[in-house]
Amino acid sequence: MTRSRIDWRDLLFGLFLVAVAAGTLVATRNLNVGHAADMGAGYMPRVVSLALLAFGLFFCARSFWRAGLLRARPVQAMLPIEPVQLRPLLAVLGAVGVFALTAEKLGLAIASVVTVILASYATREGRLRETVPFALLLSGAAVLLFIKVLALPVPVWPR
Amino acid sequence: MDLFDNLLLGLSTALELNNLGLCLLGVLIGTAIGVLPGIGPIPTVALLLPFTFGLSPPGAMIMLAGIFYGAQYGGSTTAILVNVPGETSSVVTCLDGHEMAKQGKAGTALAIAAIASFFAGTMATVVIALLSVPLSVLALKFTAVEYFSLLVLGLIAAVVLAHGSVAKSLAMVLLGLLLGLVGIDVSSGAARMTFGIPELSDGLDFVPIAMGLFGLGEIIANLERPAERRVVSQKVRDLIPSRVDLRAAFPAVLRGTALGSVLGVLPGGGAALPPFSSYALEKKLAKDPSRFGKGAIEGVAGPEAANNAGAQTSFIPLLTLGIPANALMALMIGALMMQGIQPGPQIMTEQPKLVWGVIASMWVGNLMLLVINLPLIGLWVSMLKIPYRLLFPAIVLFCCIGTYGIANNLFNVWLMLGCAGIGYFFIKIGVEPAPLLLGLVLGPQLEENFRRAMLLSDGNFAVFLSRPISAILLGVTAVMLLAMLSPTILRSRKVALAEES
Repeated sequence: MTRSRIDWRDLLFGLFLVAVAAGTLVATRNLNVGHAADMGAGYMPRVVSLALLAFGLFFCARSFWRAGLLRARPVQAMLPIEPVQLRPLLAVLGAVGVFALTAEKLGLAIASVVTVILASYATREGRLRETVPFALLLSGAAVLLFIKVLALPVPVWPR
Repeated sequence: MDLFDNLLLGLSTALELNNLGLCLLGVLIGTAIGVLPGIGPIPTVALLLPFTFGLSPPGAMIMLAGIFYGAQYGGSTTAILVNVPGETSSVVTCLDGHEMAKQGKAGTALAIAAIASFFAGTMATVVIALLSVPLSVLALKFTAVEYFSLLVLGLIAAVVLAHGSVAKSLAMVLLGLLLGLVGIDVSSGAARMTFGIPELSDGLDFVPIAMGLFGLGEIIANLERPAERRVVSQKVRDLIPSRVDLRAAFPAVLRGTALGSVLGVLPGGGAALPPFSSYALEKKLAKDPSRFGKGAIEGVAGPEAANNAGAQTSFIPLLTLGIPANALMALMIGALMMQGIQPGPQIMTEQPKLVWGVIASMWVGNLMLLVINLPLIGLWVSMLKIPYRLLFPAIVLFCCIGTYGIANNLFNVWLMLGCAGIGYFFIKIGVEPAPLLLGLVLGPQLEENFRRAMLLSDGNFAVFLSRPISAILLGVTAVMLLAMLSPTILRSRKVALAEES
């Protein structure tokens, strides 16, 4: 296996920080910055995002620099990033998204069933014969616990 | 004497009927999640936060604290019986605890773990009570300047002493601070980074962020690993340890308690450091170190005591100074703020009922754990038989409903969805998300105190160094950061923390 020439972990984190910092600087460009004795609303966001920018650039630079060092002296191989598996990622995020889309419109009972069934697709082990009754059971429990006992103001059935 | 008055006040609060009930509920939930691998105390506390609104402040804190130390307790049960550490803190208990179980001494190991935990919990309660009085006297001298320096020290120390890259953790703290700035600026009324979304004007809720980063992100990453099969078939007998066992375990319990109490106070120490250090110490002190790993009773007693003592003394910085020692304590601060209590050095004098009630409840809770846990072991073990494929959809659902419950709107669910994606990204690139939570919770206070200090000093930054307490606090911070640059310390830190992970 060829060793990567770049420390991807550092690089990705660095780019992420640079993006966040740049986004913040743009989003807060119109806020009054003021000065130390009389800070405006924009003072802290500016200071923090500039620091983040510095960190981000540092990690980006280090990702190349460190890779060079390791190539010269490959005592400790860089940890590669394990490949992303889409199935669990999409199923879990999708389940949360479906809950957000349905909870207020279709009510907690239906939203819960759909969420649980979709989430269970995250593993290949899920069997519908097992998942569906389990989802119904959980939905019942959720309605009892959150709406009847804890009085969460969300409809049970579609409005 | 003040101390006794305080403890009496605390006991009378903790022994109120509904607080007793909440304490019991907390330790039961805590034990359950401690037993179940894959759910830690952080998402659980985050999940239950929205439902503590209706409780009295002491009741809410008593229950949440119970979850925390209950989880430490439950983790060791599964570590001993099935060699599965329910929590990171009980990884070492697996070594000798499970070995004892294999030799047919599961009952003894469980009992020793329970007794060691109870003893440590009791002693730690006394330590908290003793330490908090002088600390609160010191805290009264604090102004915005000192408090700002203290917050800086707390944040930096939590980063330096926790595991993971220091530079990355510092960046994460800043990221958390930035997220904490979202919302209407209190002093000018200007909207900051709200992007026109009305839900953002009150700032970001930390519950969806914590649940996304710690709960869901973790679940997605767990699902990528192949499922492990666990065989649970253990008969538990002899729950009362023999005199010989007790005599062998007692010195280890004492040392573990002392070590755990000290390490627990340190910010960032978290749950893993005390038991590991105690195990190493016991091994070093033993006449025959080769017994360790083969069912040495000291190897269970010491770490279990250290674990529980550390879990409890990590409340000291929170209850006296309002500084969280780790991500879980940051959630506790959040719980206080939800109750309308401003955490800070004044908390002890303003909320004695709350502080002492929580301290006393820890002792009560530990007693409950001792009494209820051993008879319930069968129940806990049967919980382990729930397969993860059924467990995680349930967690996902409860996370959704829980985040919805914070403000009864769906915005937080979407926020949690985004944070879950980011949390997964962080796990993939090997960045620890805990510092972000610290920054997020402490951010608003940091800004407020910084502004106030600057206003007092007319924009002169030297004020942080000209005041003695503040200068000392910043000095300690600087020494800690500089020490991180020294190669020898860096190396030994790497070794010490590598054992943890």
